[in-house]
Amino acid sequence: MNGIQVQGLAKRFGGRAAVEGLTFDVRPGEVFGLLGPNGAGKTTTVRMLTGLLQPSEGEAIVWGHSVRTHGEELRRTVGLLTEQPGLYDRLTARENLRFFMKLHELDEAAAWPRVRTYLERFGLAGRADEPCGSFSKGMRQKLAIVRTLVHDPKVIFLDEPTSGLDPESARTVRDAVEELATEGRTIVLCSHNLGEVERLCSRVAIIQGRLLALAPLGELRRAGLALDIRVEGDAERFLPALAALPFAPNVLREGGRLKVMLTDDAQAPDVLACLVTAGARVHSAVPAHRPLEEVYLELIRQGRG
Amino acid sequence: MAFRPKRALAVFWKDFLDLRKNVGLLLSMGVLPLVFILVPIGVVWTYVQRPEDPNLRVIAHYYDKSLPLGANAALFLIERTLTDWFGMFLVMPVFVPILISSQSVAGEKERRTLEPLLASPVTAAELVAGKSLASLVPAVGISWLAFILFCIGIDVVAWPLVKGPLMPNALWTFGIFILAPLFAFFGNGVAVLISARVSEARTAQQLSALVVLPLVGLVGGQVAGWLTAGMGYYAIQGAVVLLLDGVLLVASIRLLDRERLISRWG
Repeated sequence: MNGIQVQGLAKRFGGRAAVEGLTFDVRPGEVFGLLGPNGAGKTTTVRMLTGLLQPSEGEAIVWGHSVRTHGEELRRTVGLLTEQPGLYDRLTARENLRFFMKLHELDEAAAWPRVRTYLERFGLAGRADEPCGSFSKGMRQKLAIVRTLVHDPKVIFLDEPTSGLDPESARTVRDAVEELATEGRTIVLCSHNLGEVERLCSRVAIIQGRLLALAPLGELRRAGLALDIRVEGDAERFLPALAALPFAPNVLREGGRLKVMLTDDAQAPDVLACLVTAGARVHSAVPAHRPLEEVYLELIRQGRG
Repeated sequence: MAFRPKRALAVFWKDFLDLRKNVGLLLSMGVLPLVFILVPIGVVWTYVQRPEDPNLRVIAHYYDKSLPLGANAALFLIERTLTDWFGMFLVMPVFVPILISSQSVAGEKERRTLEPLLASPVTAAELVAGKSLASLVPAVGISWLAFILFCIGIDVVAWPLVKGPLMPNALWTFGIFILAPLFAFFGNGVAVLISARVSEARTAQQLSALVVLPLVGLVGGQVAGWLTAGMGYYAIQGAVVLLLDGVLLVASIRLLDRERLISRWG
């Protein structure tokens, strides 16, 4: 079975539970976001799914291979971009990549043209014979991404793939991720860059030791209604009035715009009445998606509570 | 899990390539053989310069009370030096792998290259084999090269007294081809084992280097006249080290287990 199927996955280190009861699926061709604060268990989850750690409980099948019993086959199938690039500084970019080709027992002559395509795409082809120690942070990150793809993996785990990259390079990486997904690969993206998650992922799981939310991105953002209201003048003066409402909504302000987070559709008329009573001239009020950041922070707060 | 020689060779290829580009480490590896070659050559040269010095007879007598009056004390001391120094020479195949393996195993943690490496299909046994080979080949190679230079040096300086070649003799030939690889494996095993438990290459080197102390102690015992070295003596050392090599190999494979390394250092 392709993709990833996770059922009741848990990992304990001694008596401490890093993650518990994780259950989710990731489909082939999907870019799936794995979100959570530092220490939430994202890395531990990825390590279990890449065969680096054995689960304490539960099971996961990655592209048909059990993480419990088929570690070697699993590692042939997955590509892992770790948080740190982890390159051999004295070796050249080509030597770094050749090493991983050898570890995967690839026919180097056959694999190199495909690898070279990625090097060209990331602007590294001309630097292939230079030691990695001389590379900038962004170049190291890009080379680490190429290394992740050296063996043409079916499932790719990317931990902060655009960390340290300039906007242009970050765009190149995001385009490459989308293209890899189009080719039918399964991609799991761990990132604190929620904008990037919004751009790339179709579904996300938010974890904090356990699964807090698992949903398509659009659904998650619609989970609570938001109202985008444009008022005349500076909107800040209406904040106290909104805060005094019985349901005390979260409000984001940008000049003459207010984004009011609601938990129920029925709150919308109360918000508008409150603003009018406070003297606001309301130009427009339209339903809006809640920003992923808002949803994320709320879920994390609830998770802690 | 099947052992795939190609993956072990890949680890060897990478570590050997990395070693070739590590000038600092190469220099450290070169200094030790120089000392082990030059010191005994200097001692033999001193004996050859003054073979009739009565003090040599006193020293020779200290080592062997039954030394006949007509025996050549300088020649006796040269042969004794060569026998005792072999114990010291064995420090080299132990020490060189310690320098290399500490860098290659603990260095993977320091450079944060361990996780990508362990995320590849390579097994613990292949990792141990590849890394061990990358430290054993240079260690044994350096020992053999040093042995050749040592033989040439000794024969050149001893020639005026001996009027013929002293080296290579049976003890050294046995030792350098049989014992040196066993001792190198021992040094490598200790370094891999310690490297798997500490976070820095330097700490691994310092702790691993302590294993040469018993060897130096044995040589000290020989020089002090408490121990008499010979073929049997070194053969026993070899048997003990062979046993330790087996234990270290099993322990290294267990300690380089993914779960253990990642839980601790990842």
